Amino acid sequence: MPLMLPTVIRNFFGGYATRLYPFRDVREPFVRARGHIEFDEKKCILCGNCARRCPAAAIEINKEKNELIFNAAHCIICEVCAEVCNKDAISVEPKWRAPFYSKPVEVYHPKGKEKAS
Amino acid sequence: MAPRTVAPFGPQHPVFPEPIQLKITYEDEKVVNVVPAIGYGHRGIEKACELNEYQKNIYLCERICGICSCIHGISYCEVVERLWPIDVPPRAKYLRTIWSEMSRTHSHLLWLGLMADAFGFESMFMQFWRIREKVLDLLEMTTGQRVTHSVSVIGGVRRDIDDEQKKKCIKVLMEVRKESEALINVFINDYTVKARTVGKGVLTKEQAIALGCTGPHLRASGVKEDCRMQGLQAYGDLGFEPIVEKDGDSYARSVVRCRELLQAIDLQLEAFSKMPEGEIAVRPKGNPPANEAFYRAEQPRGEVVYYAKGNGTRNLERLHVRTPTYANIPSLLVMLPGCELPDVPVIIHSLDPCISCTER
Repeated sequence: MPLMLPTVIRNFFGGYATRLYPFRDVREPFVRARGHIEFDEKKCILCGNCARRCPAAAIEINKEKNELIFNAAHCIICEVCAEVCNKDAISVEPKWRAPFYSKPVEVYHPKGKEKAS
Repeated sequence: MAPRTVAPFGPQHPVFPEPIQLKITYEDEKVVNVVPAIGYGHRGIEKACELNEYQKNIYLCERICGICSCIHGISYCEVVERLWPIDVPPRAKYLRTIWSEMSRTHSHLLWLGLMADAFGFESMFMQFWRIREKVLDLLEMTTGQRVTHSVSVIGGVRRDIDDEQKKKCIKVLMEVRKESEALINVFINDYTVKARTVGKGVLTKEQAIALGCTGPHLRASGVKEDCRMQGLQAYGDLGFEPIVEKDGDSYARSVVRCRELLQAIDLQLEAFSKMPEGEIAVRPKGNPPANEAFYRAEQPRGEVVYYAKGNGTRNLERLHVRTPTYANIPSLLVMLPGCELPDVPVIIHSLDPCISCTER
């Protein structure tokens, strides 16, 4: 215990180790942090590459209804979908999603396919 | 003779972060017999790996355990690469080594904190975990996430460490080393810590070998055995030498991990200085061929063994994982009998049990 005293005394004067939220802002995420993924409806052509490669089966494609259904609660933000997308329609943003009470399901209606046809 | 009592220790117990049950027979406050019971956290990951496509298993294998997730992911990639076999670029090998050692650093800091907590040294627990945050920040900066890094892919790695990140990593690692040294001095030399650990849960060299122990647990009993000695990844270039202690008690296990923590930081710094330029990944051609492969890696808790069998399709025919804690649990049957009740949490923690690894 006596050997610990210098560290303990230093801590009295060393300031806070944690951030005083909400009085101070939280740390900005790192530039390349994987926070959440975003879809660009204008670029997507509903090819289904992302849905096939998603390890968590969070993306579902319905070509008949022209829908891309993204189940955000299943997503593990592994970045595979963004890597395999040929049209750069998926991007990984560094900010985390806010906590949610019910599982969000996002439905996109890509316009890229109409343009392509 | 005092009457004997059988009392369950766990599966829900304040000292256990994860569920494991020990049916302990006491004579007054002295332990005379222990029967471990596992199986509370089984998730069937090995079977799920057979049903998944082989690329998707990386993310599943990383979720076998939260603390050693990085090495699980890398080991899976290594074993599947051996099915072709694929030659990974040298820079990717170095990056894998750096991330493995970084995860060892944060795992040992976590363990040192939990151990301090197990014998009631709350202040030290907080200090170790404060240092650990810096290492987790480094992992988030370089890989993108704090715990499940998802950086390793079959054929290499997905992310590179640029010069700016490298400088920051070196700066922070030097700080972590300096701060850890001060706390390790307390851990190794403090009277109160020694009173709780010296001579508790002794495991002799012969017993450790006979029971098939691995990792720091084995090295604390005087056996020079470490999977990094194989020289795989970049360890061959880094001049790795395992850390061995002789006494085999809880104190020796603590000392091994304290020294390994500093060694892991040194290995990272050396790897940063020697890291070659070049590609970070190669693309595998086709599906894994019908072949078998085997890979051993050193996790923070000991040896992990990956076995994979391919059949030429997108799915593996079999994936087997042997984790270190499963090999170390039988040693409790030797270490616990004869000890006092208050020493039970300390001895169990000196093993660094990781139950989610054990049960998969």
